[in-house]
Amino acid sequence: MAIRCLVRPLLFALVFVSAATAASAQANRQSAEEFRRMLAMGTKSRSASELYAALKMAAPGGGRQTPPFAQLPDWSGLWTASGGGNFFSPGPGGTAPKLTAAAQSALKQGADNQSKGIEYDENLSQCGPPGYPRWLVIPFLREFIVRPEETWLTSETVNNVRRVYTDGRDHPPVDERYPLYYGDSIGFWDGPKLVIHTNQLMERSMGRNQPTQSDKMETVEVWQSVNATTIKADVWIFDPALYTEPWYVQRLYTKVPNEDKSLRVRYWNCNENPNNDVVKTSNGSTNYKDFTFDDKPKEPAK
Amino acid sequence: MIGRIAGCVVLTLVFTAPLRLEAHHSAVMFDDQKEVTVEGTVKEFQYTNPHSWLLVDVTNKDGSVTTWGFEAEGPTTLLRNGVRPGDLKFGTKLTVTGHPMKDGRPGALWMKAVRDDGKEFYPAGRPRGAQ
Repeated sequence: MAIRCLVRPLLFALVFVSAATAASAQANRQSAEEFRRMLAMGTKSRSASELYAALKMAAPGGGRQTPPFAQLPDWSGLWTASGGGNFFSPGPGGTAPKLTAAAQSALKQGADNQSKGIEYDENLSQCGPPGYPRWLVIPFLREFIVRPEETWLTSETVNNVRRVYTDGRDHPPVDERYPLYYGDSIGFWDGPKLVIHTNQLMERSMGRNQPTQSDKMETVEVWQSVNATTIKADVWIFDPALYTEPWYVQRLYTKVPNEDKSLRVRYWNCNENPNNDVVKTSNGSTNYKDFTFDDKPKEPAK
Repeated sequence: MIGRIAGCVVLTLVFTAPLRLEAHHSAVMFDDQKEVTVEGTVKEFQYTNPHSWLLVDVTNKDGSVTTWGFEAEGPTTLLRNGVRPGDLKFGTKLTVTGHPMKDGRPGALWMKAVRDDGKEFYPAGRPRGAQ
């Protein structure tokens, strides 16, 4: 048997990783003043629809629908989430979201589970879609396909696509609405900024050990370039099941270096490799099913 | 077998949680407080979404062979971290380190591999301080 035991001085690595993470977060951190101003845009609105309408009214010409392609920002290439605000943690300056009792209870239960090492992903473990707004924070590659009449905000995770219609259409009639993983999104262009209103969302978990969003959730987003390699999304979340006042987060997306263009988004099929099959354990946590590779040693040759 | 291997598994308290992304499933089945390192040969490199698996045949002291599975993120994460499917072909000799499964099965969350020519691979990215 050729098994070698190693002890690695990872405390040294911790110091470096912590310092790098802190430096990166600091560089991207929104100021407390700006955060409060943006949060107030939501809290003074009675609904996401009202905020969206106000932004549309404030945009030159009432917002552009189907603008010429040449006037749209270049968001080509590959992108990935690179930090920003959290759905349930205080923002810059320490302002905390005003949570409902149900959301607070769910967060406490989640923290208890976490402390016991109990974790299961109600959405992703069986390869269901992460859904929106969790889509904002998931890792891996993204592509943003910008067209005058429609923008696709995509992520390689479970091959998801958010379609944002910017051709002037409204949401479907009320009688035709039903819950959707990514909701129904319409938008307009305010100069180089894409403004989005999303409704028709599905009641489901916001993430592992996180509260459950309701089908009453609606959001407003404003997407815009910060520089050639950074896009930011300002997001206002209205959900009476989670928040007693609307919450606001800013999420950042960084362009992934890909000079030789060899890196590409590929299709996800969770059934491709049975070694990735997991089960919910009796205590509500996660473990693998049987592996395809041997889990017992083969007998030596006689 | 597992007991023999466990005797050689370093139950090292590590001070850095793995930089596990919010991937397909939780990583709670792995013990991020322990590391296991094995030497063997590549049986198969399953370069798949949403997770990849590096299967390594390890010869035990009694001559028997155990196949270990080392789990990593999917292909685009591996490519971004310089781990290509052609780098670890069948029969390649290497040393692999990971966080072992809590239930004792020969699986681990893949942290590092060193090919017999000395080339190092970090499927989740090279940690700061690594040479």
